Amino acid sequence: MASSHGNTHSERAKMEQIITEFFAKSLHIILESRCPYVSSRNYSGEQVLSSLSPSSSSSSSSSFRPRDKWFNLALRDCPAALENIDFWRQSNLEPMIVDVILMQRPIDWDPLNFSPKTGFVSGKERHYYGSDNEEFGCEGKNERIIERWVLQYESKKNGGSTGSKKRSNCTSSHALYKKSILLLRSLYATVRLLPAYKLFRDLTSSAHIRMYNLAHRVSSFVEPFTRREEADMQRFVFTPVDTSCGRLCLSVLYRSSVVDMGLDPSTPISPQFIPEYVGSPMAEPLKRFPSGFVSQSSPSSSPFGRRHSWSYDLYRASPPSANPSPSPSPTYSDSHASLAKQRCRRLPPPSLPHHVPDETLVAYMKTPSYDEYWPSPVFSPSPSPSPPTYVPNSHISKALLRCESAPVSIPVTRLSSMPSLPNKQLMPPSPPMKATLLSAAENIAHVRPTSTADKLLSFSKDRPHQIPGARPSVNSSPSKSFSSRLSFQDDYDDGPFVVEDDEILDPSSRSGLFELPGHPNEPGGNLFVKRSQDAAVGALVRMLKKAPPLHQDLQGSTLQTPTNSIKDTTEISEEPRVQQSSASNSVSSGLGLVTSKTTANALEELHGYRKMKDSLLKLK
Amino acid sequence: MNCEVCQLKELDVEHFEIREVLRFSCNQKGLWCQAVCNLMKLIAGILHTILFHRALGLVRPKDIDLELFEITYVQCGDVELERKIDEKIDQFLDRVEKHPNKKNQICLSFYEVKNKQPTWFTNKVERLYWEQWYINLNVAQHQKGHSGKSTSSKIVVDPEAEERTVRRAALEASLRDVLFQIIRFVNEKKDHIPPIPNLEGVSFPYEITISRFCIWNGNVQEDAPNRASYDAQLTSE
Repeated sequence: MASSHGNTHSERAKMEQIITEFFAKSLHIILESRCPYVSSRNYSGEQVLSSLSPSSSSSSSSSFRPRDKWFNLALRDCPAALENIDFWRQSNLEPMIVDVILMQRPIDWDPLNFSPKTGFVSGKERHYYGSDNEEFGCEGKNERIIERWVLQYESKKNGGSTGSKKRSNCTSSHALYKKSILLLRSLYATVRLLPAYKLFRDLTSSAHIRMYNLAHRVSSFVEPFTRREEADMQRFVFTPVDTSCGRLCLSVLYRSSVVDMGLDPSTPISPQFIPEYVGSPMAEPLKRFPSGFVSQSSPSSSPFGRRHSWSYDLYRASPPSANPSPSPSPTYSDSHASLAKQRCRRLPPPSLPHHVPDETLVAYMKTPSYDEYWPSPVFSPSPSPSPPTYVPNSHISKALLRCESAPVSIPVTRLSSMPSLPNKQLMPPSPPMKATLLSAAENIAHVRPTSTADKLLSFSKDRPHQIPGARPSVNSSPSKSFSSRLSFQDDYDDGPFVVEDDEILDPSSRSGLFELPGHPNEPGGNLFVKRSQDAAVGALVRMLKKAPPLHQDLQGSTLQTPTNSIKDTTEISEEPRVQQSSASNSVSSGLGLVTSKTTANALEELHGYRKMKDSLLKLK
Repeated sequence: MNCEVCQLKELDVEHFEIREVLRFSCNQKGLWCQAVCNLMKLIAGILHTILFHRALGLVRPKDIDLELFEITYVQCGDVELERKIDEKIDQFLDRVEKHPNKKNQICLSFYEVKNKQPTWFTNKVERLYWEQWYINLNVAQHQKGHSGKSTSSKIVVDPEAEERTVRRAALEASLRDVLFQIIRFVNEKKDHIPPIPNLEGVSFPYEITISRFCIWNGNVQEDAPNRASYDAQLTSE
């Protein structure tokens, strides 16, 4: 008797477990073929191809996970199903209703102005799930339930003898399990024959941007369809699985045709520009400035590359990015890859390099990585992501000059004898950066006055500058900004790093520039420039002072040249000693000692010359 | 144990005579290949759908897309099964090419092996069929009104393209109906299935037979034959 009760309890427990797992498996099968981003569609195929070979068919069971073995149907993990099944694991008597919702984007959907809504509808127990549904929001008029799956276990209030119940329980669990297997097989095949599966397949297989998306909703209570809605739908009822305690019922209401909804899954969305892309230098200028211009020693940060982008932006109206990235890392390359596709479709003709509307200029938001390959601002009508057409580098160099060399007066020609310094070390980072910021901010403000543009303007305004030609006007038109840039270009036609002489000779310009407050992250930037200039001047002075006097006689000069060579060979030992002695005597005395040393040396040289003259005459 | 029989809805498919293929232009040959492939895939889809519902062992399902018909069917992922089905389909195509414009039938039977030991009267192993599926195909020869020249084929193909599209849409709808018919049958008839052996993939022994004759009276037979074509009736030729 006790054993019969024990068997009864065990059988009941088995049945309950079978029913619970049936709910979970059903939800898994439905959601994996309706959730575009949680699909095991290709996974199962690949697994079969790789694992089920004639040699491994017998051992394939070892590769199945324990969860797969339920109902002998191995499926990939479906997080959406796992998230939703907890409620029914606790109470399998509640019906489970799965709504598959078709969410369509409105025709005038603007990705720039779209404000995502939360997925939680107030009041009732509704949970919107689905990948990327934040894009679509919860606009009722763009939603339509195209499928409704209803799964429930109808329990029976039965009474019967223990014997018959035992017998039925003994066989019911086995029969229940076998019939559940068959039902799930049918469910698996049915979900792929319904019209909604075509939408799912288009979403998962195609790379096109669709005007619709699929979402799902799992609940235990929903509002029934109206008569009108139900009239447009067809019903398919699976044969219930009877058990001794109840029966499992599964049915689906589905729309027979989704084409009538005005969907055109084969038509991709027209490319739209995303002005604020991840990694835009305009996105978070405050963050990008330190990494771009402070770390000059790191080649990966590519300050010149970034400067290229800044200068590039002078020619292009470059609205700030919506998703800024503080560092030029390859993490945002995917967004740029997608942008590249859009960019190539909207590239203007190459004959208008400077008169392109701002919309197309947005496409040329650059990244340091982009700059590495395509440093020149270019256009190309080709749809393929090919480098744009070439624009003379002089424009870029002019931009660089205008941005980076304008406040710096470095005489390139006179620095030939100077120890070679990298040019970027001679360049003050902060002043050209500010100039670039200003001009870029002008363009940004015109295209799309956003907070990012305001940030740029505020940042530049916080640091008063006197860069000639730069006018921080927010509402400046692109034409004005273009003209301002062109005027800067005209000032520097000689190429990079060539500065006019008047800037060297005009200390006021330098001093004016030196009045610029240092960059917060570079307190010694202007000081370094000043020191370099002073060092150059000092070295020049010293060189002039050490130079031999120009007023020597020609004979002396001509004799000097060969004698110098002879002197080098015969009197090398003397001169260094003489020079050393003279040097040792004159170090402490300063300039006066230098003068006396020179005279003494000159006299000694004179004596030496006389001796040489005598010797030469004797030889003759 | 009763043998459940399911007569699937007849499908009208087109086929080209193989001896005419040599005179076809490249376009026509491509169409012929496509027609042959479509026929093969259609038959394979039906067979695999049935077998998926009878492969009650541990399986990892595999989705197969019929691009032409925009239908996805499911395989149970057994490589050996796929090979056997492909062999049978090749035999069927050979039969169709030898006897064009005929109704053809493919029978998929599931059985139990009884009396493994030879008896006094017979040494054969008795098979007890518990389920039979009949796939009815009306293979029509492609009607072409040209001699196969490339110039004329271009003229003929274009007007036939629309007709071919209509036939293809009708065939797709019929195929979908057949698959749903299989699902309904599997759901309605469950008690006749024997206990599941401890096997992976296809759980029950099966056989696929091809018959030129068809049991075609629109009714389900009550007394199932021991062989697929036991009560076969000649169609009007």
